[in-house]
Amino acid sequence: MFVAVARTDEILPGGMKAVDRAGKKIVICNLDNTFYALERQCSHQGASLDMGTLDGYILTCPLHYAQFDIRTGEVLNGAVPPDHRNPTGNLTVYPVKMEADTIMVDM
Amino acid sequence: MNVKARKEALRYFFGKVVDPMGYKFSPDEELVDFSLEQEVLLEQKYGVPYCPCKRITASRSENMKIVCPCIPFNREHFDAMKRCWCGLFVHKDVTDPSKLKQFPAAALKKG
Repeated sequence: MFVAVARTDEILPGGMKAVDRAGKKIVICNLDNTFYALERQCSHQGASLDMGTLDGYILTCPLHYAQFDIRTGEVLNGAVPPDHRNPTGNLTVYPVKMEADTIMVDM
Repeated sequence: MNVKARKEALRYFFGKVVDPMGYKFSPDEELVDFSLEQEVLLEQKYGVPYCPCKRITASRSENMKIVCPCIPFNREHFDAMKRCWCGLFVHKDVTDPSKLKQFPAAALKKG
């Protein structure tokens, strides 16, 4: 079910917004006016990814610098230093659609 | 982890870092692809994308000088060669990297 999470003018290109909906913590990312929604907690140690940095399509976790591709949720690089006991996994990506100037996410 | 995706990410980041320093990726795409792949493997092992052509030592401070792109720590040397030690990066005006010569930093100091 698609749920309204934000207006497009709330998130500038290169920006992020943390949203809590339906018991899920997600982060909305604006990549050149294309919006992506991902789970917000880093798969390594649960840090809040909206506190990290978004550079192009690469989202870097603020805690151990794990990096993710926001388009796919794929982990590009694990935690630094490598944590083999607690490997970094891919993030869940939620489908996004636009309705006028509203960002809708399928939860 | 997906090596191909990480190579693309390193290419994205490194390109932005070396551009203001007057460098670009080598036009030799095969060399670039191979070097980046080695860096990804080093990164997976050590957590840091070290230069694949230099020796990792027990000294962390020394090792930090060979984190790719290591141009700032070898500026004079690389500028003289118009390439970094691996050849991954070359000066922006270089079109044929095969014509560039590699020589040790000691040779530069001797003049």
